[in-house]
Amino acid sequence: MLFRPLSALALAGAFCMVTSSAWAQASAAAGGGDTQARDVRAWLLRIHEAASHRNFQGTFVVSGGGAVSSARIAHFCEGPNQFERSEALDGQARHVYRHNDVVTTLWPASKTATVEQRDLLAQFPALLQAGDDRIADFYDVRPQGADRVAGRDVNVLLVKPRDAYRYGYRLWADQASGLLLRADVLGERNEVLESSAFSDVTINVKPQPDTVLLPMKKLDGYRVVRPLLTPTKLEAEGWAMRQTAPGFRQVSCVKRPMDGAAEGKVDAAASKPEGRPQVLQTIFSDGLTYVSLFIEPFDPQRHTRSMLASVGPTQTLMQQQGDWWVTVVGDVPPATLRMFAKGLERSKKQ
Amino acid sequence: MLDESEANVAARERLSALLDGELEQRAVTQACAHWRDSAESRSTWHAYHLIGDVLRSDDLARHPARDTAFLDALRAKLADEPVVLAPKPLETPASIGLPAAGRAVAGGGPRRWGWIAPSAVAAGFVAVAGVLTLTRPGLLPERSEATSAAQAAAPASFAGAATLVTNPAALAPEPQTFVATGQVIRDARLDRYLNAHKQFAGSSALGVPSAYLRNATAEVSGR
Repeated sequence: MLFRPLSALALAGAFCMVTSSAWAQASAAAGGGDTQARDVRAWLLRIHEAASHRNFQGTFVVSGGGAVSSARIAHFCEGPNQFERSEALDGQARHVYRHNDVVTTLWPASKTATVEQRDLLAQFPALLQAGDDRIADFYDVRPQGADRVAGRDVNVLLVKPRDAYRYGYRLWADQASGLLLRADVLGERNEVLESSAFSDVTINVKPQPDTVLLPMKKLDGYRVVRPLLTPTKLEAEGWAMRQTAPGFRQVSCVKRPMDGAAEGKVDAAASKPEGRPQVLQTIFSDGLTYVSLFIEPFDPQRHTRSMLASVGPTQTLMQQQGDWWVTVVGDVPPATLRMFAKGLERSKKQ
Repeated sequence: MLDESEANVAARERLSALLDGELEQRAVTQACAHWRDSAESRSTWHAYHLIGDVLRSDDLARHPARDTAFLDALRAKLADEPVVLAPKPLETPASIGLPAAGRAVAGGGPRRWGWIAPSAVAAGFVAVAGVLTLTRPGLLPERSEATSAAQAAAPASFAGAATLVTNPAALAPEPQTFVATGQVIRDARLDRYLNAHKQFAGSSALGVPSAYLRNATAEVSGR
């Protein structure tokens, strides 16, 4: 007697499943483009969310351009506050601590510290949440199955660029938390330009914000440098971008001192913005990658040769344009950098 | 007597085969030893070569003294040549770029060429440190000689783990692009721009760790 309701329930369940999958397939077929765009946003948002809101720590290894370096990093999130700590394991000892948008970098060897205000460009979530599907316009994101990284099960995503102005990526995102465990930058011929991955990671650790806050405050014995960034507008400085590479939009424009934060010759005058040569830095983004355009007055002493340099995935173009020295840096193919340099024009004489 | 002449004939035949490159491996050692030990064998060898040369060209049918006079004159001229790049000649006069002059330098004392070594090291260092160069004939015509000289020196003075790889496929119009690999001593100015750029790329879309850490690697080598 019991069998009848159970079997009826089973049948009903099976029926529901069949119809729902059919409906899902139908809706997928009908709104194919929309679904794809939504999926792209959902996947990338999940990755970004995990990096901002999860507590994790582990050893991160970056290998590219012939060099391998690793660091021990930790990230904690408590409410609206984010804490980050990174300790370089190769080369010169260096500790980086971040509390929201204040970043303190310590070099124990030279007893130097820099305290910077790094604007957290929250452009990525904004670009996606605004329903701006520019990323799907320029990248084709598709899943590539499952894999295992650092002992955890991951989903593999291939982000293929739709044109030759940007690089592709392969992403390995943790299935449980969405955290990016490995990212490869793929070049024009699908070769791996750089690979960054966790070699071991522990997710959902107990947050320890004091391990970040205390070293940021305790700077005795360190020579502290605080470089100052002044936000400005490209037009106000007398420049205009006639054209940018497709998909790239300006996200920031600042004036900054350019002689490096800890050059070894820091004095009181040098930390003021007027005491040093100022460089105009404009940043463009297509949603996944950034290009920085630096403009400064041409100085034959310092700007001796134009060059195109390539370090792993990062390309740098430096050249003279009239009375100015233009540097374009980005994780993009050299053709894109050249397009930016060509598109820059002086709108008025100072 | 008869054996001696037979032995001589056999030796001469071996020498002739050696000259033509037709002697088998085992006999080569024997023939060379014979050449070393017997003056007559050496003069026979010289005669065979002379015969071959004269048959091939009239110019080579000269008195041998002319050759030695020429070589002496050449050595004297080379001794007078200034040495551009050469390390301090202590034991072995190995020189960078001018092997012929190196032998001549061996005669001169270290006092005379003492200043060469630091400048050679500096030149090599500069060539490697300024490893990223680009000649753009349109923009900087006057610099092309300097940069081409630096590029010529760079492959010769190969210091440390730096590798210069030209990447012809990437840029057709540009003459050269240098791909920096390994622990290269990068241009400090380049590093400043890289650091400034990566400050913002730290909050990249693809999650904080990857770009943030590339920031770390760039700054480490820059300091």
